[in-house]
Amino acid sequence: MTAGKRLRGATVLAAAAVVAVSGCSTKAPESGGGGGGGGGGGGEGEVTTDVGIEGTTIRLGVLTDLTGVFAALGTDITNGNTLYWQDNQVCDTYDVELDVQDTNYVPQTGVQLYSGMEPNILAMQQTIGSPINTALAPEYESDSIVNFPSAWARTLTEIPGTGVLGATYDVELANGYQYLFDQGLLQDGDTVGHIYFEGEYGENGLAGSEAVAEARNLTVVPAQIKSADQDMSAQITQFASEGVDAIVLTVAPAQTASAAAVAQAQGLDVPILGSNPVFAPGLLQGPSAQWLKDHLYVSSPITSWDSQPELLQEYQAAYPNTTPSLGAVFGYAMGDVMKQVLDSACEEGDLTREGVLAAFGELSDVDTGGLLVPINGFETGVSPSTQSIILRPADVPGGAEVVQEAFEGELAADLAGGE
Amino acid sequence: MTQFLSLLLNGISLGAIYALIALGFVIIFKASEVVSFTHGSLLLLGAYTIARLSDTLGFFPAVLVGVLVTAVAAFLVERFIINRLRGAPVISLAIVTIGVDIILLTELIRQIGPDILNVPHPWGGDSVRIGGVGISENRLIAMGVAGVLIIAFFVAFKYSSWGVAMRASAEDGEAAALMGIRQGRVSALAWVVAGVLAAVAALFLVGAPTPGVSAAAYTVALRAFPAAILGGLDSTGGALVGGLLIGITEALAAGYQEQLSFLGRGFGEVAPYVVMIIVLLVRPSGLFGTKELTRV
Repeated sequence: MTAGKRLRGATVLAAAAVVAVSGCSTKAPESGGGGGGGGGGGGEGEVTTDVGIEGTTIRLGVLTDLTGVFAALGTDITNGNTLYWQDNQVCDTYDVELDVQDTNYVPQTGVQLYSGMEPNILAMQQTIGSPINTALAPEYESDSIVNFPSAWARTLTEIPGTGVLGATYDVELANGYQYLFDQGLLQDGDTVGHIYFEGEYGENGLAGSEAVAEARNLTVVPAQIKSADQDMSAQITQFASEGVDAIVLTVAPAQTASAAAVAQAQGLDVPILGSNPVFAPGLLQGPSAQWLKDHLYVSSPITSWDSQPELLQEYQAAYPNTTPSLGAVFGYAMGDVMKQVLDSACEEGDLTREGVLAAFGELSDVDTGGLLVPINGFETGVSPSTQSIILRPADVPGGAEVVQEAFEGELAADLAGGE
Repeated sequence: MTQFLSLLLNGISLGAIYALIALGFVIIFKASEVVSFTHGSLLLLGAYTIARLSDTLGFFPAVLVGVLVTAVAAFLVERFIINRLRGAPVISLAIVTIGVDIILLTELIRQIGPDILNVPHPWGGDSVRIGGVGISENRLIAMGVAGVLIIAFFVAFKYSSWGVAMRASAEDGEAAALMGIRQGRVSALAWVVAGVLAAVAALFLVGAPTPGVSAAAYTVALRAFPAAILGGLDSTGGALVGGLLIGITEALAAGYQEQLSFLGRGFGEVAPYVVMIIVLLVRPSGLFGTKELTRV
């Protein structure tokens, strides 16, 4: 039995228990009047609601990118979201309807689309892109919106109600380094070259490298690039001349392909460690496929399709002619965490925005049945998880297999922050 | 030293590709006095067509079709838009090309979708080592092909009747028209040639060490812009020199990023534009551009 199946079984049971214990009513009267945080009459079998619930239908917002630079990722995550809510109900009562809008990865468009959907949604199932999340942060805060981004930058953990699902990039890379050390692929005092995007994603990844460098006496050769850069020749050449013992990437798949191609051309036979967004299954159709299989290690909060065969089957039936990517697994897992938040709010008898936000804040030890690394909880400024999964490219569905299940590296707890 | 040579070789190979694109800009500018911003999407169109058709047609037929499709697209843009707006202010024409570019680009991005499309170059990701310096075969072949094409272009420009007609129209449009040179035809042919050059540049740009066809390939065409400008927008020789200069500058600035870190990280990106500005400050018409003379 797979985690996905087990998970669904467990959530159905849990939801049934919730209904039995709290008497979560099938009628969901509109109580009107926003706010009214916390309390509510779980015991009386009444669930207080305000915005985004009509009858037994909950509406959640999705601000994704279906036509912009992250269209690939956006489509997959949204497919995952949709598939999840086809299979599941909140509180065994409420169906969930997604209001999917395409931002084209333009913050201004995102803000406009949000103000259009805001009066009709309870929470945000997905907001893609750090710039859009950052642009909407003040509105999410004033509207008491619970939101899940598909990014892991530390700055996102500062937004109240926004749940980063996994370790932040610095913690993620520190765990990746740990794996390299444990496998004897990297030693104390070695030199690593780190190619990173300008902006929050790259900077946060580099912070991970610098923290590890300090603890393990590594020398880091940083190379900053823009997301539009396609040719990593100069950077890898520089690394080769510095004699690096590993290459670290906080980039997108296109740059991973280029870095591998150049490293191969220059005979730079060292491991490549990547943040989770560096990988896409399409990399295995390129000329550097074999080199990547031999050299790439990806530190990720998301498991591979390889370990979720039944979910994969379901996904492929629902979306034939698509390449299953980690994004789709993530989309499915996002749905699961949202369900846990909404179920617990329903259990408290308060499905108002305030109620949902309160439930979100109290969520701890989130288990998604192995789809994601265990999440400790959502505390402002703290990495929600200290664990990562190590993936390697392989000829399996989704293109990656798990070589190390979720684990916590030596530096993770310190880097994560909090108590 | 190896690092320097390696960066230099990479810069030259990249510069050769830039030169092809920049040459396209220049030819169009000379023939129709339009600064064409459609080049990025034309380039992507070429790359996309080649990638999509390679599986069914095989590599070389796909390249032929890709070059043809790009040339036809450039031709259509000239015939149906630029030609009909003849006489409109130069700025309007430039803005129109931006519009065309955005429309074409949006559709291409939609078509490319989630994938990085790989072009199955017969030489794949193989590389050769010259001394201690490694370079991908793709880039090496690119240099050769770019060299041949550029020489062929210069010969045609100098000796063919089209070349003469174009030089004449660029020199003095009215006089050329009075001499019976059909400027519409000259301009259309210029766009076709620019389309072909863009498609050939695209073929090599999406090969090793770059990852394949993705929307980002588009931005490379924009880097060829400073190349064309600093060479002198109306100088074909300038496009060649400008392309190489920008390619080498970019490679060296990115490769010596550590040593240049006092200028801030990511200087490789900025360097081509810095070079362009410096050149223009010293020579406002670019290295080889014609000086505008105004007699008072």
